[in-house]
Amino acid sequence: MAEIRIDHLHKAFGQDEDKVIALEDVNLEISGAVFVSIVGPSGCGKSTLLNILSDIETPTSGSVSITQDGGKAKIGYVFQAARLLPWRNVMDNLMFVQPERDDAARKRCREYLEMVHLEHTVKKYPAELSGGMQQRVGIARAFAIEPDVLFMDEPFSHLDAITARGLRRELHEMWKATRKTVVFVTHDVGEAVELSNRVIIFGKGGQIREDMTLDLPFPRDAADDKVALAKANILRRFEELDLIAR
Amino acid sequence: MAQTQTAGARPATFSPRRILRQRRSARVLSVVLFLLGWQLLLPVLPTALIPAPAEVLGFMWDEIRGDTLGRTTVWEAFAISLRRLFAGFTIAFLIGLPVGLLMGANRWIDRMFKDFVLVGLAMPSLVWALLTGLWFGLDSGATIITVVLAATPFVIINTLEGVRDVPRELTDMARSFHVPRTHVIRHVIFPSLMPFFFASLRYGLANGWKGLVLAEVFAATSGAGWNIRYWYDAHRAQGVIGYAFFFIIFALIVERLVFQRLSNRVFRWRPSDDVGPDELTAKELDQYGVAAGGDVAM
Repeated sequence: MAEIRIDHLHKAFGQDEDKVIALEDVNLEISGAVFVSIVGPSGCGKSTLLNILSDIETPTSGSVSITQDGGKAKIGYVFQAARLLPWRNVMDNLMFVQPERDDAARKRCREYLEMVHLEHTVKKYPAELSGGMQQRVGIARAFAIEPDVLFMDEPFSHLDAITARGLRRELHEMWKATRKTVVFVTHDVGEAVELSNRVIIFGKGGQIREDMTLDLPFPRDAADDKVALAKANILRRFEELDLIAR
Repeated sequence: MAQTQTAGARPATFSPRRILRQRRSARVLSVVLFLLGWQLLLPVLPTALIPAPAEVLGFMWDEIRGDTLGRTTVWEAFAISLRRLFAGFTIAFLIGLPVGLLMGANRWIDRMFKDFVLVGLAMPSLVWALLTGLWFGLDSGATIITVVLAATPFVIINTLEGVRDVPRELTDMARSFHVPRTHVIRHVIFPSLMPFFFASLRYGLANGWKGLVLAEVFAATSGAGWNIRYWYDAHRAQGVIGYAFFFIIFALIVERLVFQRLSNRVFRWRPSDDVGPDELTAKELDQYGVAAGGDVAM
């Protein structure tokens, strides 16, 4: 079972007058096969948190530990923009992040490409794919290393609503099938409600303001009353916490 | 003239309009019109020393056949020049590449060499040709050194731009997946440097060649540049113009047969363009979701 522990995490950029506090005393525990969404307004530190969790940035103080059954956990990351190597084809892009480059890895990559219905694009270059397809390759890439924990940073925010909707469904199916720990950053409350069983609200200044579980059954349809109510509740909470500009 | 027929299409017609619309026609036509214009303008031009197109073409044809009044044939002359060019350019590359890499990677080294590189870029190759002629004597010394001096700044500047432009988003992605450093160098850094490497090759060779020809005019006794000087001294305009055309043809051959082919192979992953610059612009990188604008920081 994967376990993420964040203790008194603090991150500041710059010095003195220019100092910007991105994260302030963040404490968080996530474990098991949960889909956790982190929502918050722009500039609240959500992406910084993910960057620290995936080793792209170092904290100013505090500690982060991501373990799988006591040992180091394998981490997969899906970015806002697909971040594919433009000069390598789809299969090579997936293989690039594989720890071992053997036949088993190739087979795994092919399986996950099939899961996102892109098995026919193995030899294509990213420029030959649409934005949505590139993002699906990015998702397959992250899943194909069979990570213990998956971090996703607003992965659908660059896509049109229809493509995003389709990809959300695909993502949910993949999560259901593989039962990973997913930490999903988004500014779209509806998206958070559709996908997650736990929603964490981040406020400006980088603090956790609310941590709630969502117990509704899957799959969730935005048209469903209970789902709509959950979304409305969270948005109201945003207002109460003074996170929405009036 | 063979034309492919698609099912249900009208039968192929030999229509002038259709021929004119083809890409190659426009280029051939421009050359034909130029030669025609040249021929027609001859009687009204101010000096008698301007040869007719036929004279120039005749001279070029003789040269190609090896029937020359010069000291060497065009083939020998170009062979000599090319040997000097490649020798000089190799040295320029061996110096320019590491300096460019270091300047791109280290701010302090960059500041140290920056002004010298700027001077090198701005200096007319003529100055190098004259100075090297004075200092290093005729032929190989002066000519090869001129190539080095003319080409090196271009190799440096394109290399350092390449190092500065390594896509951060991709190296971050690799880091988040814990990809080993050797793989990052091989699959991210090296390919991202390729367009700049090409640019340094192209501009370095182009400027090296221009410098070489000048050096051969002033400080050599052989080579393509020297040949053009020979015909100038002999007051034979068709020789000068003929050699000018040989230079143009040479440049076109190198561009089409060497650079274009190599470029098509190395950059086959790029969306197909009619003609594109070698360097990836920020806009192109953005298309692949790689530029700084692609991700929101917080």
